[in-house]
Amino acid sequence: MAEFPSGSAPRLRAAVVGTGGISSEHLRFLAASARAELVGVCDMSRVSVEHAASTYGTTPFRSLDTMLVEAQPEVVHVLTPPSTHIALSETALESGAHVICEKPITLNSPDLEALLATADRSGRRLIENHNYRFNPEIEHLDGMVAAGVVGDIGEIEVRMGLPVNDPAGRFGDPNLPSPIHRLPAGVIHDFITHLTYLVDHFATEVDWEVVDSRWSCHGGVAHVPVDDLDSMLIGTGPDGAVHARIRFSALLAPDCFEITVRGSKGYGQVELFSGRVSEVIPRPGGKQLSPIVNMLVGGVSLFLGGPRSFKRKIMQQGPYVGLERFLDLTYAALASGSEPPVTTADMLRTSRLVDRLVAGRSRSDDDRAPAEAAR
Amino acid sequence: MRVLVTGSTGFVGSAVVAEALHAGHDVAALVRPASKAPFASIADHPKLRLVRADLRDRGSLDGVFSDIDVVIHLAATKAGDFATQFAGTVLATENLLDALTDSPVSRLVAVSTFSVYDYSSMPAGSVLDEDSPIDTHPAKRDEYAQTKLIQERLYREELARRDVVIIRPGMIYGRDNLWHALLGGELGPVFLRIGGRSILPMTYVENCAEAIVNAVDAPDVAGATINIVDDALPTQAEYIAALSRRTDIPKSVGVPWPVMKATAKAVAAVNDRFLQGRAKFPGIIVPEKLDGRFKPFRYSNERARRLLAWTPRFGLDEAFVRSLGDTDLVHARATEQQ
Repeated sequence: MAEFPSGSAPRLRAAVVGTGGISSEHLRFLAASARAELVGVCDMSRVSVEHAASTYGTTPFRSLDTMLVEAQPEVVHVLTPPSTHIALSETALESGAHVICEKPITLNSPDLEALLATADRSGRRLIENHNYRFNPEIEHLDGMVAAGVVGDIGEIEVRMGLPVNDPAGRFGDPNLPSPIHRLPAGVIHDFITHLTYLVDHFATEVDWEVVDSRWSCHGGVAHVPVDDLDSMLIGTGPDGAVHARIRFSALLAPDCFEITVRGSKGYGQVELFSGRVSEVIPRPGGKQLSPIVNMLVGGVSLFLGGPRSFKRKIMQQGPYVGLERFLDLTYAALASGSEPPVTTADMLRTSRLVDRLVAGRSRSDDDRAPAEAAR
Repeated sequence: MRVLVTGSTGFVGSAVVAEALHAGHDVAALVRPASKAPFASIADHPKLRLVRADLRDRGSLDGVFSDIDVVIHLAATKAGDFATQFAGTVLATENLLDALTDSPVSRLVAVSTFSVYDYSSMPAGSVLDEDSPIDTHPAKRDEYAQTKLIQERLYREELARRDVVIIRPGMIYGRDNLWHALLGGELGPVFLRIGGRSILPMTYVENCAEAIVNAVDAPDVAGATINIVDDALPTQAEYIAALSRRTDIPKSVGVPWPVMKATAKAVAAVNDRFLQGRAKFPGIIVPEKLDGRFKPFRYSNERARRLLAWTPRFGLDEAFVRSLGDTDLVHARATEQQ
């Protein structure tokens, strides 16, 4: 480990593996952060890694082993396709680096437990990127819950709509079928970690007794075997029963990423792609006036949402805005040795819930088999 | 010659395939795996064969070039975010060049673009030719210019291994591509015609295809960069007037070039002063992008005429007639006797 002058904030030596689309978000943070010193970037593509290195002012490597030896990173960001996460993370952990890994960190919870054991043996942290937990809209919901205006949480709904069948998109392109479709949850495996940890975020103490998931292929695209998830969760938390719904659709427009948290007093709803926030909560004036005040406040919020949305677009503040905060908090924790903002427990609960959701895929296929045979 | 064409089903690629067949070459048209019935009208041409592969998939290129003499590389991705265009243009080219290793391919005809020039650094009204500077700090240019600049760097590296001819066509027009980005841009629901007196660096698609195919066996072009523009280039206003006499054109609003330039400069100043340069505005109000499309220059095709023994066959009026007619131009050219 590098040594830092006493009294100064330590800057951790950071390196990145993988220069795909998400890497620019990590590299931009690392190049600008006072908490990190970007010491290398690694990819099998020479031109891609050279471009990333020159753009962000670091050293390009074609091999992780070489980068670990020569650049000696203290933190490695694993940003490669999911099927490569375990091997690359193990190598980095065993070299003595902490690992921040893109989701899904592994494809099932036993693999995650094994990888966490490797991290333990190496005395290093393994942290999955749960960036949306740190978006301002989610933190707004956190504030509502903490202030008690939602009451006891009774229902959480997470809904995502993305046109993953679009032949012009990276998942729907028939010329180069993405390997993501071979994952247990198909293309939805690329998103299911986000959907699941956002439910978990508001239900950390809930014991889910029912997890019923239905997986479908509504788009009829040959190389996209699954493009729709509808799931119902019922559990019990400290304050009573909690329901949750996780929904993914490829056909409904417009694109959306909506989270609703309903409680015994009111609800909050946010949309992460547009930044929209709405609240229906008890207002001054009691039961009689609260609906009117909620409508007035909602109207003003919607009105102001237009300029806010315009500003987000112009200032290029996309839905990844939470990633910078997640990384900043993570680096602060790694430097101080405190618990990272995404804990091992957060990752395990999420992964185990994903396992239960994915288990429904085979049940969905079994349920449909008689109808399809009849056709 | 045995010629392989990438991007063969595109607007320019299909014209290049037809031209290469007309020139008597054995043509392998690289088409993507899911392309449906490409080149249906010339499918039985004895000198045409289809090769199915995707340049983004290095594995699909194994063996593709084992019986090829010259590659005409047109494939590029013009839409999508930077990562998408990087994959479709830069990584595709990296894969292509890697697959050429140990192949008999002796020449690469690499089709680039006028977008690589550094328009902002050149005085308005000057001559833009192959010796004009290319953009070395393209961060404020669009993704297409950025990725094509990286692609050109790969081409120059490839010169150590084989002949490389870089062809930079100007704006290519033709059927279904007559109303184009050098005339103006959309701002919400309005199409703004920007300027009117700038000369358009254009080439009609069949003229351009002939120049590209001439580069297959032209002598003394290894390492050369060659711009392709037609003769007697019209101004924006002349082009629009000529086009409007032959077909309906979109409704639009004219904005003088100096007004647009001043607006873009003002927006950039506000961005730099108050928004730390982080704001992203539509391309037509970004000075660097605006210059790349509308700043007035003069152009030369002297090098193309000399090195490629090329003369544009079709003038503007004839190009319009061909573009607006219903003749199958690919079939007509591919089967036309020399």
